[in-house]
Amino acid sequence: MSRLSVIGQRLLHLIPVLIGISVISFLLVKLSPGDPIRMLLGDRATEEAVSMVRERYGLDRPLLEQYLVYIGNLLQGDLGRSIRYRLPVGELILDFLPRTLFLVLYVMCLSVPATVLLAIAAARNQGGWIDQSIRVLSVCGMTIPVFWLAVMLSRFFGVELGWFPVSGYGETFIEHLHHLFLPAVSTAVWLVPLLVRNLRAAILEQMEADYVTASRSKGLPEGYIFRRHIFLNSVLPTLHLLGVMVAFLIGSSVVVEIVYAVPGLGALMISSVIGRDYYVVQGLTLVYALGTVLVTLTVDVISTLVDPRVKL
Amino acid sequence: MIWRSIGAAAAVAACILTGAGSAGSEELVRIASPYKTTTLDPSRSAAAGNIETFGQLYARLLRRDQNGELAPGLAESWEISDDGKTVTLTLRDAKFSDGSPITAEDVVFSLLRVRDHPESAYPAPLQQLAEAKAKDEKTVVLTLEHPFAPFLGNLEVFNAGIVSKTDVEARGEEEAFASDPVTSGPYQVREWRPNDRLVLEASPNYWREGYPKNDGAELIEVGSENTRVAMMLSGEVDAAREIPWSQVSDLQTREGLEMPLEPSTVIYMTLLNEGRAPFDDVRVRQAAAHAIDVKAVAKAMTFGHAEPANTTLPGALDFHHSEYPGIAYDPAKAKALLEESDYDGEDIVILISDIADIDKLAVLLQAQWAAVGLKAKIEKVDRGVWWERIPNGDYDAAPSWWYNETMDPDLAARWALCGTCGNRSFYTNYDDPKVNELIEAAAAEFDPEKRTALYHEIQEITTTEVSQIPLYYPPFTNAYSARVEGLQMTPALQWTLEETEVVE
Repeated sequence: MSRLSVIGQRLLHLIPVLIGISVISFLLVKLSPGDPIRMLLGDRATEEAVSMVRERYGLDRPLLEQYLVYIGNLLQGDLGRSIRYRLPVGELILDFLPRTLFLVLYVMCLSVPATVLLAIAAARNQGGWIDQSIRVLSVCGMTIPVFWLAVMLSRFFGVELGWFPVSGYGETFIEHLHHLFLPAVSTAVWLVPLLVRNLRAAILEQMEADYVTASRSKGLPEGYIFRRHIFLNSVLPTLHLLGVMVAFLIGSSVVVEIVYAVPGLGALMISSVIGRDYYVVQGLTLVYALGTVLVTLTVDVISTLVDPRVKL
Repeated sequence: MIWRSIGAAAAVAACILTGAGSAGSEELVRIASPYKTTTLDPSRSAAAGNIETFGQLYARLLRRDQNGELAPGLAESWEISDDGKTVTLTLRDAKFSDGSPITAEDVVFSLLRVRDHPESAYPAPLQQLAEAKAKDEKTVVLTLEHPFAPFLGNLEVFNAGIVSKTDVEARGEEEAFASDPVTSGPYQVREWRPNDRLVLEASPNYWREGYPKNDGAELIEVGSENTRVAMMLSGEVDAAREIPWSQVSDLQTREGLEMPLEPSTVIYMTLLNEGRAPFDDVRVRQAAAHAIDVKAVAKAMTFGHAEPANTTLPGALDFHHSEYPGIAYDPAKAKALLEESDYDGEDIVILISDIADIDKLAVLLQAQWAAVGLKAKIEKVDRGVWWERIPNGDYDAAPSWWYNETMDPDLAARWALCGTCGNRSFYTNYDDPKVNELIEAAAAEFDPEKRTALYHEIQEITTTEVSQIPLYYPPFTNAYSARVEGLQMTPALQWTLEETEVVE
């Protein structure tokens, strides 16, 4: 089967996945206790006003009816309106999405080169002091809580030294880079060690492989063997791990988004859950699901490019 | 990939070297607050973030001057009839942000909208308004159900702001307040990014000549208190709401920062559910109150920055009974009261939500109650659940806070101490007929001395009967940068933004 039709098929699989997720997220959100309208209208709002607004939003209807209305709108591409802001959910999410995507890409741009360099350095000096110190640093990076690190970086580089802003997103591309630097570094610090350990192990395994010994015995130069054979063969598991991590990052950017007051998807998700903004939470869940599937698919496609033996 | 990241790094370095951050020629006052703006329609919400915003967008008939006294606002002057039932207000020549004149029609429309609209969140301040009429272009006649002393003060409350009748009718309610409402106050909306920030710019037509004294303001929503502190320290904002108590002393010593700890109408207290055992028994409530060392609690919670509460009403309100001794800390008496009561030794539920430091407060209460034999378990839920369970009476005790949006105690008393005013004394089910009567009598009394006596009596009765357990009166923990002058928060949660100058 051609690659394109396989991709098409994979995209078709998305439909049941999204339906399933919409049902689960709808039920989870609706069945969890809590009243969005009271929080919206304020502590002193009258019971009458609260029930009026509840009725207006159809929140007093039976659950099944609410779900059918929701699905009906969804099929027409309408994600509903935010209960809190009275804005279309799609519009709201599209406003917040670019910031999180920017952050995730930024983290990738910092992490991937660092991972490749560190993993190669460690693998080629196996057991040496470079390897050992990379290992120690990796353990440190993985064990430091992101939240704590983010606060510390913000206090030191933001407040004490004044090199970077401690909040916001900025207006221009350069400002985005500047504003999101500390959030991106805070994230890369735990991501890079994970990837480095994975890649290093894979490289070491390949270096022992029979085909490498065979290549050496044929007198191929060491650098050529490494670039052309060892590295390409080692990179696949790490690529898959990276895929999982990117999908994870889209959802877990919330910690740094809160600490650095970046108005991204994570920040929107948290405040929508707290404010019981049902349709925003559901919309975001669908976006996360879509994101995860697309990232995995992209990684699979790249895998076939790196290694023709891999089939989609 | 490598080249891109090197490029990115170079760009970052360039920013650092060139001193980063492009300050425009405009000077916006930047404020970080945990409270959100969720609507621009002043009648639709009474939640904390929104009322701060409404105050900046919509001018009221009366305003508070710098000494906190009622002063002419959109109304130049007013007259109260001898029977106290008719208020005639004369409007000044003022314009909406779109340049159209503010007329008596607009005033009538705005006030009746708050009183009558089925989705009006907080009609209470205008409950006594029987009729509102535009006598001519500039004269408004308001008739009251009965003489009502707090009325002028209530015309200053956030939701009594004047909106444009023409615009609301032309665009429809949804559209008119969606993103660029026509405003009567010092500011209009430049950009609203829900869940992030609201950018205000000076209205070209505000009636106070020379105001606002700045180009505009940016109200930034920052949920994390640590981040607000960092933004304050790095100079990214000029003011921040709710600095954590533990960092107040540190920030006070920083150069270029000020923390004046302005008095607020906030009161921390514990609701007691009087609709079921054990707190339906006044002796158990009194025992619970005597068991608590309010001074120690105030000190522990706020590092000594708040006054212990002595009555059931906020300390900054007019007619607060400041000489009243409060409920004495007396564990022996508490034990005795508990023994003679019907309390059966069962665990009571302390219901808390996710407000700052509330766990600490709940544990303090739990420990002091345990010491006299009142056993309690703590249940923590999020705000949405808390606000579902409290009105449903599904709790025994609930430490929390409330504030009053004006200095007159009438609305506060109706909200927290009145059993017949619609919300059963803040959902505690406290209902004392004598107190209900006194609240009406105090509102109808125009003589300040007699009003004082009436409100003192209300506070004495409700405190003795422990309608709630008053804990402490915290000031605002707002931080201000030396970059701005004249910015503060009034006790009723309004920024004095229009008076604020950017000095650097």
